[in-house]
Amino acid sequence: MIITETSKGDIAILAPDGKLDHDSAPEIRQNRSIIDPDKMVVIDLEKVDFIDDSGLGAIICALRNKRNANGVTVLSGMNHRLRIIFEITNIHKLFNIFDDVAPTIEYLETRQIERT
Amino acid sequence: MNKSITITLPGEIKFVRFASQTAASVATLLISENIPESEGTQFVHDFELAICEAFTNSVKHAVKRDTLQMLTITFEFEPRQLTVCLRDTNGPFTIETPTPEITDYPPGGYGLMIIRKVMDGVTCHRDGDSNILRMSKSL
Amino acid sequence: MSSIITLTLPGDILFARLASQTASSIARLLADDQQTETESCVFAHAFELAVTEAFTNSVTHAPENATSAMVTVTFLFEQPHLTVSISDANEPFTIETPAPDIESFPENGFGLLIIRKLMDRVIYRRDGEWNILSMSKSL
Repeated sequence: MIITETSKGDIAILAPDGKLDHDSAPEIRQNRSIIDPDKMVVIDLEKVDFIDDSGLGAIICALRNKRNANGVTVLSGMNHRLRIIFEITNIHKLFNIFDDVAPTIEYLETRQIERT
Repeated sequence: MNKSITITLPGEIKFVRFASQTAASVATLLISENIPESEGTQFVHDFELAICEAFTNSVKHAVKRDTLQMLTITFEFEPRQLTVCLRDTNGPFTIETPTPEITDYPPGGYGLMIIRKVMDGVTCHRDGDSNILRMSKSL
Repeated sequence: MSSIITLTLPGDILFARLASQTASSIARLLADDQQTETESCVFAHAFELAVTEAFTNSVTHAPENATSAMVTVTFLFEQPHLTVSISDANEPFTIETPAPDIESFPENGFGLLIIRKLMDRVIYRRDGEWNILSMSKSL
């Protein structure tokens, strides 16, 4: 799986492309920005057309790595099909989910200012 | 690991694309670690084409057109070779057919010629009331 | 008229995508005649995901020494229902499991929940040494 990583200030934006399943989930889990507890991460799901239990697990793992530290993981850009999977598993309740990357970054930057 | 995959499906022409696409997926999956992508594309395409032709032949030459036969496709993989077998219950046939005379512009009959061209080894044998067409290609 | 397609493949996670893409192709093929493009995509996606989850479960719950274990995926289409059954020779299991507790940030265990939500009907039965998980959805 191709994961495009860009950054804006201290925020890492990860954009996986393709299927987020058993095959590709480890790449999310092992990503440096995901592992770093203090790194703020946006996972942009716009190009993900499929997610299964393993993929969901990797996304939750990302959140787990962050929640006891200053880091935070938010999701953006998921399509309707993915949205349904997040909703039927209730996982959507764990995340801040945005429609697009821009407002996601805005949200994180505001948080950052509040913190300092 | 038991290195084979078997698919049994109705001998209907509507499944031909499904059969050949599945062959392509199997080939892609199994060769991806063994050969560079540039060669891989050709390999997969040849495999897909061979199954497409073989499946079409089996459907076209079905004996009892009113009752549907089931066709069985088996993929066997060895480190340097991928083999696909197609089993049907049609009448016996030979793969030693002459190449169609191109100047006559025949509308069909190219199937076996194409299969022999794109695969490395092609054999056919009779097993009870079934034909087994066996097609191999080396990596 | 009903159609049956059977796919037998090694119980190895390497084949999860092949199994699920096959499910998606079959669902799509059957739905295309009768549904709009969007409906048929949703139908195919449901089968792709359900088969991914069921196949992954079969592989992950196989005993460690069962390297030669095969998993069988059977598709039965009886207008308007498509049923896919996954058979394996693992230990018996139940589908009556509670949904994972989100508050504890579980990193897996959503498979059966997803299957139950996406499919119209999910039945588990034990047949001798075999587990058979049947999942149906209507066009």
